[in-house]
Amino acid sequence: MGSNPVEDNNAMSIVSELLTRPGVIAAGEYAYRGDRFSYRGALSEEHARIASIMCRATTMGISMEGAMLDALCPDSGLHPPRGWVVRGPGQTVCVVANVFCLFDNAQGSLNAILACMREALDNRSQDLI
Amino acid sequence: MATLDALLGLPGAMAAFEFRGSGELLDHRIAYPDRINPTLLDLLAHMCAANLSIATLQARGWEQLTAMRGFYPVQAFTLIGFDWSVVVSGLNRERHKQSGQVSSLPPFLGVVMANERADYEAAFALLEGPEALP
Amino acid sequence: MSGMIRRLLALEGVNVVCQFRDDGSFVVGYGRMSQEDMVQMARFAHDYRRMAQGNADQLAIFSGMRGWTPPRGWIVRGGAQSLCGVGNLVCMVDSQGAPLNEILLELREVSHW
Repeated sequence: MGSNPVEDNNAMSIVSELLTRPGVIAAGEYAYRGDRFSYRGALSEEHARIASIMCRATTMGISMEGAMLDALCPDSGLHPPRGWVVRGPGQTVCVVANVFCLFDNAQGSLNAILACMREALDNRSQDLI
Repeated sequence: MATLDALLGLPGAMAAFEFRGSGELLDHRIAYPDRINPTLLDLLAHMCAANLSIATLQARGWEQLTAMRGFYPVQAFTLIGFDWSVVVSGLNRERHKQSGQVSSLPPFLGVVMANERADYEAAFALLEGPEALP
Repeated sequence: MSGMIRRLLALEGVNVVCQFRDDGSFVVGYGRMSQEDMVQMARFAHDYRRMAQGNADQLAIFSGMRGWTPPRGWIVRGGAQSLCGVGNLVCMVDSQGAPLNEILLELREVSHW
């Protein structure tokens, strides 16, 4: 658990749920603004802090890109973004709203993890301000 | 090789496209021209090229700092939009690089899918399949 | 403050200057551009600033190198026009012939007010 946990029982329940899924290495939540984060799983606190910073930066980037797409191509169906995924040869990181999940490709199912995250988080406010 | 036509056969696929690392749109197929046009694909290609670059920066930094492995080279970036998702992959290019064929790298590939029918694992399987080997 | 911002427009090659709040909302703008476009330009500058800052923060973490963050500003240089952002100010300037160094110094000074 991070030293500055984000107080959100619903988010921590989805984090706990994700950790029961096959292949999940760690999951957590980061604040859209500021540096607060919380997590569970096999990461050091420092590495979870860095992961939170990376996730926040990417979410901010795709949010801006979504707004630009919407301005240039209204009703593109992509804005506002619900989340994003980066897939490497061995691991994948998956973010919906402000919750992240890191899992091993060989054991984890992206479809199942994404469905679980979307079910729990799709209605969460994505106001980054 | 995962062709644009094969990508269009994925569940919920609405369009498929090829683009350079610089984001330039090279070729595309559109299944629903009333919903997707080449202008959107051009913008998406540039956006996805930028996100793959940032993801690669993050993968390099993360693996150096943590000594964990598994993200570099980045194989795919996916944006889950409000109604639709886009999945892009450069794995075929990486395979060409690893086999020393750096002079004629294939393009990046992407597919736009409707969220309610999107099968991300199927998209990855097609984009990363062994038949994509040079 | 608005007088200081307007002063930027007197610099050679500066075509538009806008100020925005921390939430990206438009405050004031001067130059040859519709207010609607200025609002969009301010929004872009706000988003671009945050994105550049996020990327610079990561570079600083990964490289362990001091001196990159917090970023002071950014420039996107096009063929004919460039955008320069410092703090909550953004300028559209001619890519050719504009005294970019002077413009950046002025932007920095005005953004501190």
